[in-house]
Amino acid sequence: MDKKRRSFLKKSAVGASAVAATSMFPSIWIKNSSLAYAAKGEVKVGVLFSLTGTTGIIEESLNKATIMAIEEINDSGGINGMKIVPVVEDPASDPATFAAKARKLVLNDKCVSVFGSYTSASRKAVLPVFEKRENLYWYPTLYEGRECSKNVIYTGAVPNQQQDEFVPWLVEKFGKRWYLIGSNYIYPKEENNYCKKLLEGLGCEVVAEEYVPLGHSEFASVVNKFKSLKPNVIFSTVVGDSVVALHRQYRAGGLDPETMPMASLTTSENEVAAMGGDAAAGHFTSAPYFMVWDSPENQKFVEAYRKRWGEDKVTHFVSEPSYFQVYMFKQAVEKLDPSDIAPDTIREATKGVEMVAPQGPVKIDPATLHTYLWPKIGVCKSDGQFEILQQSSEWLEPVPYKAYPNQQCTEEGLKEV
Amino acid sequence: MSAVIEKESELTINTGAKRFGNTTSQVITYALVCAAIFLVPSIIDDAYLLNKFSTYLIMGMLAIALSLSWGYAGILNLGQALSFGLGSYCMAMTLKLRTVPVHTGSEGLPDFMVWNNVETLPLIWQPFHSFTFAVLAGIFIPVLFSMLLGWFMFKGRVTGVYVAIITLAVLVVVNLLIIDQQRITGGFNGITDLATLEVFGFEFDAYGSSAYYLIAIFLTICLFLALAITKSKTGKIFQAIRDHEDRVRYFGYDVANYQVFAIGASAAIAGLAGMLYTIVMEFASPTFLGVKISLSIVIWCAVGGRHSLLGSMLGAIIIVGMQGSLSESETFLETWTLVMGFVFVIVVLFMPKGLAGAVESLILKIKSRNQE
Repeated sequence: MDKKRRSFLKKSAVGASAVAATSMFPSIWIKNSSLAYAAKGEVKVGVLFSLTGTTGIIEESLNKATIMAIEEINDSGGINGMKIVPVVEDPASDPATFAAKARKLVLNDKCVSVFGSYTSASRKAVLPVFEKRENLYWYPTLYEGRECSKNVIYTGAVPNQQQDEFVPWLVEKFGKRWYLIGSNYIYPKEENNYCKKLLEGLGCEVVAEEYVPLGHSEFASVVNKFKSLKPNVIFSTVVGDSVVALHRQYRAGGLDPETMPMASLTTSENEVAAMGGDAAAGHFTSAPYFMVWDSPENQKFVEAYRKRWGEDKVTHFVSEPSYFQVYMFKQAVEKLDPSDIAPDTIREATKGVEMVAPQGPVKIDPATLHTYLWPKIGVCKSDGQFEILQQSSEWLEPVPYKAYPNQQCTEEGLKEV
Repeated sequence: MSAVIEKESELTINTGAKRFGNTTSQVITYALVCAAIFLVPSIIDDAYLLNKFSTYLIMGMLAIALSLSWGYAGILNLGQALSFGLGSYCMAMTLKLRTVPVHTGSEGLPDFMVWNNVETLPLIWQPFHSFTFAVLAGIFIPVLFSMLLGWFMFKGRVTGVYVAIITLAVLVVVNLLIIDQQRITGGFNGITDLATLEVFGFEFDAYGSSAYYLIAIFLTICLFLALAITKSKTGKIFQAIRDHEDRVRYFGYDVANYQVFAIGASAAIAGLAGMLYTIVMEFASPTFLGVKISLSIVIWCAVGGRHSLLGSMLGAIIIVGMQGSLSESETFLETWTLVMGFVFVIVVLFMPKGLAGAVESLILKIKSRNQE
């Protein structure tokens, strides 16, 4: 055999084995795709919160709350005797990885529901697979509203729930000159759209509306504007590490929360722990849940959480929905015959589900799949906890399109009216 | 003179075409790999795996693009994801304009614009009503942008590490602009809620074999086009420039023109990959033109062997595949990034020329033993 030919054969053999090696790697994961959703006394669910990356710290607390709820349910007999089996994935704070992992949970693991997401960006990234493959996503975070998907159960607050009582309360207590500051993305803009509508109705004046880049940490010029414009209320929808910087620099600038408080929709126990109680003391937050809320359910939740994950851990207004939504899932599945368990039947069964959550009794609105919640107003103390000043007199209906009277979310989807 | 330089480059460089044997065997190896890629959907009929492998192939295209500019022409473009991201936004814009009206807000305005209080469709969006325009834009915007950047850099004789710094900086700047100009770009959330791609009444389902084949076809075309470039006289000059820029210049070649061409060709492949990525992922995000993905491409090429187009492509597929399966396994849920880091260290220490280099030296060893 001539040399050239031989060398070619060898090379193609190498090439072929390389091909074999790469195309072999899927076979490990090929599973029987005809499995029913609930088999062998197990119900499989996905848990999709980042454990690494920029939002890893906060999302890990959501993962922990979810896992704890699943463990509690399993320990007390599961769902009609069936165990909940969580499939935990780490989407690493990256929207593309979120999309990839969501596909795995829905298409490969055949999860019947997935609990996940903190940022809107990651929710938007996973939505296509849930909508096209008729699965169900449980989203625990407060968000900007204006979404009407029949494949998402929203257990966090929308703008009307956080603001309807908060804004008039602040106007009455502090005054009519408002400074709106937020991080530069869709959530703060939409919250401010709604806030401006409320303020207009109350005859208030917005002295400035400003957006800083995400992760911004230099607020000296902003603090100077606070000093020169002297607003009565600083309405903050700044998120993440910027919250810490803003509060510290406000305090360093010698401003006083007594006369010019910051009112926030995004500052929870978690952010306060990062900035230190001194910087946060005196500022206000509106949320359906605070760690200090006095109820038997919350006491149980906080105690169990600390026992399970560490005495220094805090619960907050996103980890609480992460916890109670698993129980809502349980209630919905309980109503179903095991052979009927599927994402669409669970969605139907979830409509109108009620339970007593740590924040109070909550209910899923059948039309919007959002949740009736109990907004509270808290003022931060120097020990890093909030003091609750007021709770709404009734559970508040979620209206994700409240700022847009010509649009309405219904069971059949978004309607123009 | 060109004959001289060809000879020169073959003498001075012990890499490239010569190292990887004659052209025929190379073409056959490449063809076999591509054939194997095309066989995958007939073996695996699983929506999840096909969708996942589609993304792997797209990463493979990115690695081919960087191998062409870095491995052959010596341009370490750390902003490769820029072309990728621009391509993906072009596709996302045209698909966004095809979504159902009620989802799109009043008068066909994309939803995120309504949220940002935009009243009319911005001028820059208007031509994206045409699908043909979008496809051309997805390739030519990255190409023109990269060539312009390349023209400034290479005419100014910027070389080596400075090219890497400039390309990386430009990537970061464009990324910040996209996040900041959310009225037009959707900002941090990117462009989401897209229509399914439909061409001539044929739908490309992101979870089916149709999208997979579409990507496999473009991957094959890109791989062979890139191979053809490296085999041409231009490709030889690329390698000569990589190894000894000054000598090539002394021979009277306009080095900058060749470099601009290399970075442009690489951008075309990356832009195309970006468009395909939007089809498979069903959204576009500013993270697509992030530093992370840009640096990953460099790692894929380093692991696979940047002097080989095929090696780089397989490097990307293997690494991304490993990342996927490691992060999915329960054992490595919290340590998978560490394991990946360890793998990179091992490869860099023991296989400085990547997998392709290792395979090739193995072949040489066997060959010399047979000859004894």
